[in-house]
Amino acid sequence: MKKRILALALVASMCVSLAACGNSGSKETEGTAANSSSAAAETTASGETEAEGDPVKGGTLTISLSASPSKLDPIHYSGVYESEIIKNVCDTLMEYNKDLSEYVPSLATDWTVSDDGMTYVFNIRQGVKFQKGKYQDGREMTAEDVAYSLNRSGELSDSNRLSMLDKAEATGDYEVTCTLKTANSSFLTALTDAGNAIVPKEEVEGWGDDFGSHLVGTGPFSLESFQLDQQAVLKKNVDYWLAEPNLDEVIFKVITDSTQAANALQTGELDVAMDLKGESVQKVKDNADLTLLETPGLHVAYIYFNMEQGPTADIKVRKALIEAVNVEEMVASLYKYGEAQKASLPLPPGSWGYDASLESKVPGYDPEDAKALLAEAGYGDGLTLDLYISDTEARQNMAVLLQAYWAQVGVTLNIHASEWGTFSEVAMSNNADVYGMSWTWYPDPYFFLNKLFSTDEFGGIGNGQHYSNPQVDELLQKALEATDQADRADYYKQALALIVDDLPGLFYANENVIYGVNGRVHDFIQRADSTVKFVTTENNVWVTD
Amino acid sequence: MLKTILKRILQSIPTLLIVITITFVLTRMIPGNPARTILGPQASAQDIAEMEIKLGLNKSKLEQYADYMIGILHGDFGTSYVYNRPVTSLIAERIPNTLVITLTSLVIAIFIGVGIGVLSAIKQYSILDYIFMILALVGVSMPIFWLGLMLVNLFSVQLGWLPALGMGSMSKGIGDVISHMVLPCFCLATIPTATFARITRSSMLEVIHSDSIKALRARGIKESSIIWKHALKNALPPIVTVLGLQLASAFTGAILTESIFSWPGMGTMIVSAIDNRDYMLIQGTVLFIAVVFVVVNLLVDVVYMIINPRVSYDSKGGN
Repeated sequence: MKKRILALALVASMCVSLAACGNSGSKETEGTAANSSSAAAETTASGETEAEGDPVKGGTLTISLSASPSKLDPIHYSGVYESEIIKNVCDTLMEYNKDLSEYVPSLATDWTVSDDGMTYVFNIRQGVKFQKGKYQDGREMTAEDVAYSLNRSGELSDSNRLSMLDKAEATGDYEVTCTLKTANSSFLTALTDAGNAIVPKEEVEGWGDDFGSHLVGTGPFSLESFQLDQQAVLKKNVDYWLAEPNLDEVIFKVITDSTQAANALQTGELDVAMDLKGESVQKVKDNADLTLLETPGLHVAYIYFNMEQGPTADIKVRKALIEAVNVEEMVASLYKYGEAQKASLPLPPGSWGYDASLESKVPGYDPEDAKALLAEAGYGDGLTLDLYISDTEARQNMAVLLQAYWAQVGVTLNIHASEWGTFSEVAMSNNADVYGMSWTWYPDPYFFLNKLFSTDEFGGIGNGQHYSNPQVDELLQKALEATDQADRADYYKQALALIVDDLPGLFYANENVIYGVNGRVHDFIQRADSTVKFVTTENNVWVTD
Repeated sequence: MLKTILKRILQSIPTLLIVITITFVLTRMIPGNPARTILGPQASAQDIAEMEIKLGLNKSKLEQYADYMIGILHGDFGTSYVYNRPVTSLIAERIPNTLVITLTSLVIAIFIGVGIGVLSAIKQYSILDYIFMILALVGVSMPIFWLGLMLVNLFSVQLGWLPALGMGSMSKGIGDVISHMVLPCFCLATIPTATFARITRSSMLEVIHSDSIKALRARGIKESSIIWKHALKNALPPIVTVLGLQLASAFTGAILTESIFSWPGMGTMIVSAIDNRDYMLIQGTVLFIAVVFVVVNLLVDVVYMIINPRVSYDSKGGN
């Protein structure tokens, strides 16, 4: 009996300890990012597959998802891998164009904003039909549906994706008026989010908690079947308002491992493999039948210092730690296959708040000065710090290099690598001397600067290190309330300058979005925010056999 | 015998209670918070607090434990945080997929393993015996995840004979499903095959040198009949014990194998449940595996009593 209990306890503990081998880190690159005018010129060329020749109708395209989607109800979804499916089944009021530089009308044909930035009036597209579902037979989408969907998200969204909305009302058959709680210029960006997609009330209420597995919208494809941890099968919506999709069927297949995805791409089981990393990139490059698509993502990889506690609360120590690292050399050896560019600022160059003139304000590689600064700060005899990271390969390699650089200036670094859940717990609670992670979201600087540096974000993982500067808070607030994008960009640049002066971290790399694509896929567009849409105003994907 | 079985079932109740408690404590001990993992990195502290209330994680641990226990007594094993569905229905959906590969690989392992073991025993110290036993040693020490990756690299990527991952679909015919099963089953069968070969060999060696077999030989009974009918039958008890253990550990092996081949079974579900800190799902699946262990152990004991009447679990029997 004793032995059996022991054995069972062992199984239990084995299962739990397996957490360490899980596909952690997948959550880390969640959220989205985008691309800017400056980066767009050089990147869009590599972000597409050929559209030459006459499009062929029919066929199936199989694409990988790097994590398993579980919640497809827009108000419940949490990861990009879920939004990929939602965005092909449903439409939002507006969306970004392919280089994410401007809004493109979708279910809203046009809109006006009041001078105080509180009221938005949208004209809704006429003649758009929902896909057929169990509780409605493919009726027309109206202003009522838009108001219903937006209010639902405003009230119930798990991730508060429309928390700025006070109410949305149908003020005509094809007109919706949205009133905000306070002026918030990230509202339009929020409307492009899959979480704010337009869905029919009958289906939502009919299915209840199960709506996600029977998602219905107005998009180019309808959800045919959804099997947890396996795949989602989408069938074309012949009545799609924009154009009839070329593809008959799209299969989203869950493949959590980058190597597995590259293998499946080589065997032809996959047509598009998303989120390729490390050696998989080389595998695709080496194969003549495959195309590697690469676009600078709206992504920043960084290490963040504790701003409130421990030695790093002293700006001299932070400066010394930054000066001790040869960032160029580090990035070159971390991303052997050219999967990233060297960064300097906590905002990707693709964001319209980016200010290249600030790059020179970041201290460069100077180990001698670093030693002097540490001595000045009272750490002439050395210093020990704890670094927390998630256990992904990229992060672990970074940690080892960092350890070596810092050792040269007398800093001993203890590395604590764990899977995402454990890492995030420590990082969010202001308990790490230093943590390393990455951030990726929309091109609007709000989604970087507010989340990482606003005092309101204490306790979230963005600002787990308790950066707090009242001047920065004030500028961020002003930027949020301003309605003119030029004004907003100006406020963000001022805030960014202050943040850079405070040296809160070492922002070392901007990773690319990397896909492997089979040669049979045409007119496929890769975007910096990882959104994959098969039918838009700019493309209509087709495959040859 | 019925009495013995009943007694054993009653005895397993405290075992399961302990498993439930240990799993509950362990899941709460892993750092991390389901609300945070569900909402992702961009969630604010407020989003997380709201989600915690929704999931009932704001209650005290003791209260959560009491709720869970009361639920189990009512046959309610909780609802998965991530999938928002009852844990039992998720397990029911996944278990056939896992059974397909675990049972298939065990059947393969029994036939090949026992066959090799018997051949090795009758040809003891021959070249064949050495080759088999070296292979068995390699097999038993093989890390499954490494073997799996090598198999994929060779048979899927290089040769292109077999699919690299997934389960295939019945709609494409049974052939599609079988071709997807080959690699995971081969991978999962490696360790049991080697184990069966080794245990069969040693058990057979003991039996064929025993007096009873010598007596059969003396009576001039055909050698093949002695080996396969009489000797193997007497050599069975240790093999059955190992079978029980292998059946149960195949479930743990499936965790690795399924992850490598993206096979949608219990294993991949446990791994993602742990990643997501989906407490209810972790608890439910571990409890399920524990029940499998208990039931298999019970079955092994029953089979034991049938094939070897000398064994009695009745205390009155004076064993």
